[in-house]
Amino acid sequence: MSILNKPVQRRGFLRGALATAVVVPLGGALASCAGGGGSSSTSAAAGGEVSATNPFGVAKTGTLDAVIFKGGYGIDYVDFAGAILKKNFPDITVKISPSTDIAQEMQPRFVGGTPPDLIDNSGAKSIGFSTILDQLEDLKSITEANNLEGTKIADTLYDGVLAPGTFDGKVAAINYVLTVYAIWYSKSLFDANGWTVPTTWDEAMALGAKAKAKGKYLFLWGKEAATYYQTMAIESAIKEGGDEVRLALENLKPNCWSLPAIQSVFTALEKIIKAGYVKPGGSGTQFTAAQAQWSNNQDALLYPSGSWIENEMKDQTKADFKMTGAPTPVVSTSPKIPQSGVRSAAGEPYIVPTKGKNVAAGKELLRIMLSKDSAVNFAKTKLAPTVVKGTVPADGFGSTALVSQTTMLDNAKKNIFTWNFIDLYGMNPDQLVPWNSFLDGKLDAAGLTKALQEITDKVANDSSVTKIEVK
Amino acid sequence: MAVFLGVPLAIYLVFVISPFAQAVYYSMTSWGGFSNSMPFVGLDNYVKLFHDDIFLIAIRNNIILVIFLPIITIILSLILATLVTVGGSSRGQIKGLKGSGFYRVISFFPYVIPAVVIGVIWAQIYDPSSGLLNGILTHLGFDGVKSFPWLGDSRTAMAASMAVIVWGFVGFYMILFIAAIKGIPAETFEAARIDGAGRFRTATTITIPLIRDTIQTAYVYMGILALDAFVYMSVLNSTGGPANSTLVMSQKLFSTAFSKSQFGLACAMGVVLAAITLIFSALVFLVNRLTGGSKDVSA
Repeated sequence: MSILNKPVQRRGFLRGALATAVVVPLGGALASCAGGGGSSSTSAAAGGEVSATNPFGVAKTGTLDAVIFKGGYGIDYVDFAGAILKKNFPDITVKISPSTDIAQEMQPRFVGGTPPDLIDNSGAKSIGFSTILDQLEDLKSITEANNLEGTKIADTLYDGVLAPGTFDGKVAAINYVLTVYAIWYSKSLFDANGWTVPTTWDEAMALGAKAKAKGKYLFLWGKEAATYYQTMAIESAIKEGGDEVRLALENLKPNCWSLPAIQSVFTALEKIIKAGYVKPGGSGTQFTAAQAQWSNNQDALLYPSGSWIENEMKDQTKADFKMTGAPTPVVSTSPKIPQSGVRSAAGEPYIVPTKGKNVAAGKELLRIMLSKDSAVNFAKTKLAPTVVKGTVPADGFGSTALVSQTTMLDNAKKNIFTWNFIDLYGMNPDQLVPWNSFLDGKLDAAGLTKALQEITDKVANDSSVTKIEVK
Repeated sequence: MAVFLGVPLAIYLVFVISPFAQAVYYSMTSWGGFSNSMPFVGLDNYVKLFHDDIFLIAIRNNIILVIFLPIITIILSLILATLVTVGGSSRGQIKGLKGSGFYRVISFFPYVIPAVVIGVIWAQIYDPSSGLLNGILTHLGFDGVKSFPWLGDSRTAMAASMAVIVWGFVGFYMILFIAAIKGIPAETFEAARIDGAGRFRTATTITIPLIRDTIQTAYVYMGILALDAFVYMSVLNSTGGPANSTLVMSQKLFSTAFSKSQFGLACAMGVVLAAITLIFSALVFLVNRLTGGSKDVSA
């Protein structure tokens, strides 16, 4: 009996020890857990002398640590600028690392107080700006500085490109690449069939019928990119209803999705979907596969997307596709903003964390990227314009898509706008769900409106989410 | 004493208990994840969670998974294991079906493929326009499924995803059960056969009771996998599926933390997930005990 009891006692002891083990650190954690290892305060790296050629006072030695989102544009364009920096400051170690998951990889570094000196906060997994705003440098110092050629950087940028990175008057991010949102089509296919690009939803409906006769569809979509249709709808609605539509959405107003302008676009889209002009099955298709069905198989005529689409689908585009962009259709013939208006936003937001070890070098690298050589290099290798003006020649380096971007921007004149609320509050994953159902025909315009409003209200009513007012 | 108990205990404290305790603490803050400021908000996050219709859908989906996945996987792998060990000819020695060595190897194949790859392969197979499944079905004359989105329809998305997970794990549990069945003395089976028991009778009254503990272990393991299911679900339907029909808690946790930067809330989700996992394991043990699992049947 006593022998039998032994293991039980031992187990009992272990159990007690474990219970203590659970309780002790819990108390400790509750008492002391004020955060991670937040220690080092503001920037270090003894500054170098500030001069005309060294406006931020980069120290002669030290390390530059940059983390760049590696998406459709790769990171070699930053390496290009890094090489110039290395030439100007031979004793600095330049470390440019790629990342495909900025939020997850940078989170511990922000909490630990050791963020890199320059980050390209981009991609689907980027950090929401409202959470890190107070930890970022005001980059006005860069736009006020001269570029390598001696021109003030602010004077070399397209109008309004700083707006998306400016929060409460602080330039927290400089967006490097200029993106134009449009509906994209094959000019050669349209010419061969005598089709014209629709400028109103009624024309789109008519084109859908012509496409159907050829055994094609008007639109198609992939499940992760269903919200490209939301981008198109919002753009069309803002053109229809003017700036008040944009501001209602940006400021998460109650019933903002029920505004007449938005509703008229949703109804028009619903008609197109119900007529069977959207290729079925998109909610089960990977978005790149779907895009290839458009650019390679030409199953559908139009695809709403940003100007990255050309670079993204480079390997899967039919030989004489002649990819061209056109402004999104509108509802009526007298919209508040002309149909030629486009959504153009600068993307790839570059940020300089205040707690970086070498803040000056981070800014210097960005200054080099905004100089002529680097900007031209980007446009030429990526076939996309940067925010720096005048780097794309008339032939667009041989790309019809790039030429059409310049044309759209020229035609839009002052009617270039954008919005931020979706990325700002990370709403895209939730919005994908109703958009997939809507394009599938399972949800009508009313159901879509209700679902989108619920998502918006949830953010608006959540007191723990910092709101940024847009005026 | 210090070495045998102290060292492992210290490691356990540092790497298991303390992160868990931290997560519990964080779950009661409105920590945004990118700074050191963590205002204490008490149980607000939990209140918010149970009013969040999408999180409740995710819990529901996990519960569906935890009920069906282990049952389907275990039944299938038990059948396979029985066939390749004792399901063979009823004459002579107790043995499996002809060529059982071959079946054993090929059924194990899916298990050696990484989960992400399994997800990618099946996402291709399920592709509505050019996928293998619709290709075969339309070839067989089922024209109704032409361009049917298996993962894109809320009626089929969950079942299709479960089929993928089952496909990936049947081989592994088959091997586990084979090992358990091999531990049963052949005389037991021979005696049953002499008494006139057929294959089905042998399986239900001899095999299953004798490998009961192994089945329970398998159930708990598969259940914990079902409560996570992150890799499979996020590869097959990174967006949570049509009408959130395949969204699981771990996916919701991930997007709350990293795309909405609400780490406090995400930690609360983690704590709820951990609690559900513990409750599930306790339930399995309880059910096993109540149905007579503690009775010694091995001799």
